[in-house]
Amino acid sequence: MSFAARRTGLATRLGVLLGLGVFLVWSLAPVVWLVLSSFLTQRALIAQPPDLAPASFTLQNFVAVMQSAASLGHGMLNSFIVASFSTALALALGAPAAYALARLSLPRANVISFMILATQMLPGIAIAIPLFIVITRLGLIDNVWTLGLVYLSFNLPIVIWILRGFFLGIPQGLERAAAVDGAGPVRTFRYIILPISIPPLAAAAVFAFIEAWNEFFFALILTRKSAETVPLVVAQFAGQYQTVFGQMMAAALISVAPVILLAIIFKDQIVRGFADGMMKG
Amino acid sequence: MLHKPTRRGLLQGAAGAGLLAALPDGLIRSAFAEDAALNVFGPQPPDPAPPGAAQFAIDLFDKWKADNKASVEYDLVAWPQLHDRMATAFASGSAPWDVVYMSGWVPEFATSLRPFADKLPASLVDDMPPTSFATTTWDGQVYGAVFTLSLLTLFYNTEHLAEAGLDGPPKTWDDLLRYTKELTRDGRSGWVANYGDPAGIGGTASQWMCFLQQAGGKMYGEDGMPVFDSDAGVDAMQMMVDLMDAGTDPGSISYVGINDATNVLLAGRASMQMNWPFMWTAAQDPEQSQIVGKLGGAILPAGPAGSASIDGTDAWTIPNSSKNPEVAQSLIEFYLDPVVQKQQAIDTGWLPIRLSTLADADVQKALPNAKVVLEQASHPYDSFVTPDYNEVTQALGTEVQKALQKAKTPAEAIADASELVTAIVKRRS
Amino acid sequence: MRAFQTYERRRRSAGAAFVAPALAVLALILAYPILDSIWLALQRVTLKAGQVERTWVGAENFHRLFNDETALRAIFNTAYFSIAEVVLVVGIGLGVALLLNNAMGRSGFFRVVLVIPWAIAPVANAVLWKWILNANYGVLNGVLTSLGLIEHNQVWLGTPTMALNVLLLVDVWKSIPFVALLMLAGLQQVPKVLYRAAYMDGAGSFQTFVHITLPSIKTAIAIAVVLQTIWSLRVFDLIFVLTRGGPADATVLLNFLAYRVTFNFLDLGYGAAIANLVFAATFILAIIYIWLLKPRRRVAAS
Repeated sequence: MSFAARRTGLATRLGVLLGLGVFLVWSLAPVVWLVLSSFLTQRALIAQPPDLAPASFTLQNFVAVMQSAASLGHGMLNSFIVASFSTALALALGAPAAYALARLSLPRANVISFMILATQMLPGIAIAIPLFIVITRLGLIDNVWTLGLVYLSFNLPIVIWILRGFFLGIPQGLERAAAVDGAGPVRTFRYIILPISIPPLAAAAVFAFIEAWNEFFFALILTRKSAETVPLVVAQFAGQYQTVFGQMMAAALISVAPVILLAIIFKDQIVRGFADGMMKG
Repeated sequence: MLHKPTRRGLLQGAAGAGLLAALPDGLIRSAFAEDAALNVFGPQPPDPAPPGAAQFAIDLFDKWKADNKASVEYDLVAWPQLHDRMATAFASGSAPWDVVYMSGWVPEFATSLRPFADKLPASLVDDMPPTSFATTTWDGQVYGAVFTLSLLTLFYNTEHLAEAGLDGPPKTWDDLLRYTKELTRDGRSGWVANYGDPAGIGGTASQWMCFLQQAGGKMYGEDGMPVFDSDAGVDAMQMMVDLMDAGTDPGSISYVGINDATNVLLAGRASMQMNWPFMWTAAQDPEQSQIVGKLGGAILPAGPAGSASIDGTDAWTIPNSSKNPEVAQSLIEFYLDPVVQKQQAIDTGWLPIRLSTLADADVQKALPNAKVVLEQASHPYDSFVTPDYNEVTQALGTEVQKALQKAKTPAEAIADASELVTAIVKRRS
Repeated sequence: MRAFQTYERRRRSAGAAFVAPALAVLALILAYPILDSIWLALQRVTLKAGQVERTWVGAENFHRLFNDETALRAIFNTAYFSIAEVVLVVGIGLGVALLLNNAMGRSGFFRVVLVIPWAIAPVANAVLWKWILNANYGVLNGVLTSLGLIEHNQVWLGTPTMALNVLLLVDVWKSIPFVALLMLAGLQQVPKVLYRAAYMDGAGSFQTFVHITLPSIKTAIAIAVVLQTIWSLRVFDLIFVLTRGGPADATVLLNFLAYRVTFNFLDLGYGAAIANLVFAATFILAIIYIWLLKPRRRVAAS
């Protein structure tokens, strides 16, 4: 390797390093403050600059969150059911639909795809009241499964769009080869397409789970006590006359843990594409 | 929430079971039919919540439930989400509640509410400030009962005032401006307010309504049309602008909630604020306040027409859809019982609405501020609530913000606001 | 020939069977609410005697919309906000994806970090930023002052332009993770052989990026642009918690206005009209973007 090339290499490496540093600070600085806040008293938090003396640190926020009438554990369980249910359905229904729209020469596939996306263009605020009326009449209010289904209304279209885009990018040769071997569309999809689509599937799953885990507005309107999800519980720490900021951040910190766990589980799937596998030879 | 079974409860339960076993089928059914299951919709504590939702008068509450053969389930949401949940339910024609908390929304939802307050016992009504029914009355019908006297009053940092050599709280607008100027020093502000959210009770528009009444003005004429485009209206606006220049915390325009501004006072970086009675308890809590023992209270400084405030109007109402309106009313009467009211004041810091409880020595000792609020109540405190209160205060408050930012002169802002509010009122009728 | 026809027919019927359940579910949940919302936009809705009364008014709500100063301001704000957000989020998101696809950024740690800003419950996130940005005791002022970057506390949400841009930045912060994740998945689709070939041909890293990486992830970019457009037109939590549309309506976006009119003013008809305007705007923008970013294979091949 020439000297010049090595120097560019070094510059690139430094650039990447700098970029990663900026990325870390940008992503984490507010989060660091969130974590610190959850261990500080309100008194320390409203000081300017914030009072970071050892005496200001406390576990009281976490104790208060655990003891409060707002049931974080109950909310997390509900959110977990709603998010898992909605994500599983979104992938189970969305992946085949996306594949069909991308590859199975359906008439007007583009129009159908666009109509599916168009369902996302009307703000949730507009459909909230009619939806509430229907669900109340059916007696399905305050029910985790109802909420999981309602969340399909935004998760499914997005999952279909993410996956369709990726399926469009798969070289035609793969399916032709499968067809020559006598595999039908179902087998091709199951044994050829899905295995090489792990990164987009993982991205779609992470998307659907997080969106369902954090959804606030429909949950506010469609649940009461028994199906109450995590964002509603977290919101309870911000009142009219008082917001106990430390407690709210403590609740937020606890509630975000399962999602981080999910990210840790899926982190490798996100980068295990067919770039490494199938296409190598 | 967990309730320990009380001995009385157990005995009653046992007696009830024995009685039921001895009764024929038909009677058992009617015995069950008497049991009322009430659903109460309200805010989460520390916002003003009823017994059982907040930790006070729990024993009395259990006894009330036993005596009335009623069960009470609370449907509580954080205050900022109350109106949304309520609006969805009422707009769908299905409110599943028997008792509903309201804060200035009575006229808005009046057609969905039961005008029960006429039937409250005279002994109770006579013990409440008559003006407290102003915000729960619409078209001559009374739809709700306020359960806590919540008026804006003046709070100030006694230490700051003493340092500046100021003797006692400001009593007039001139005092207020002078104090604010003198207290604005050492990186502190003389005055802090929450001007960020124009709408609603406590929003920018309603704060201006305090000054409006202090200047001798009012919002609406006899015919219901706005009359605030007057000298009083402009003076009130000018006063707020002058107060800004004299030393209002510049962040005030961005504070959307009262708590954003309260924190500044609690941190000791502002000296005076207009706030609700709950402020008193918060300021005495060393976990959140740096001004423990340094808070003073007074009625709002007088304008040309004297002192005046607005009503925070935390009230209980009964929706039309309630299947047990009598029991619901009895529950509201229980919330307003003198003993419950006293415990509400002492245990939660929310003042009672009963005049006799407000005058109670224990209450006054626990909440020295009670006296101030009671005195404030002897001056006007109209919140001018109408069915389109949200829309009116949104339009009006936005114009007030423009004047505070000097994008418009006070006179222009008030004239434009009057035009907007007129259009809103006309659209309603 | 016949075999091919059977093959095509099989594919088509399998395709119909693949799509049908998803469409059925969507129709079940959304058909009535969407149609009702369009219907509502043409009516005046009032609450009378506990009942909801609807009166047909035709295009009156839309007529009112285009004469409403606040709505016009919201249209302008929304246009600015959504264009700026799409550009920033897609640009930065692509940059982050490239970093994380680089040998040095491939550690799983970075991918977990990436997800964090997105995973925090939006309510808590908005309150977190409200406190960070507080003009009096906010930590941002504290940090910038101690670094000597500002002399006095700034009122970050105090002036119209500043408030809108600060909101924009916070929303960009929250939106980057998903787009970066999508791009990262896209980068995995780029066959390694192409890079090897480019390297053999002596292409520089910039040339490789323009000629190999970009074309290969065009679909991912297209999806990101379209979805981000939809979402940036629906921003709500941040405005609700941080500014309530203020000061003086400077940060009112259309979706927030639709919320305010529907839930605060209970003017369901007018609120639906505003929501339908958002729908129409998104619809048109999405068509334009899809057309612009369409992979033009035939052109490239010829």
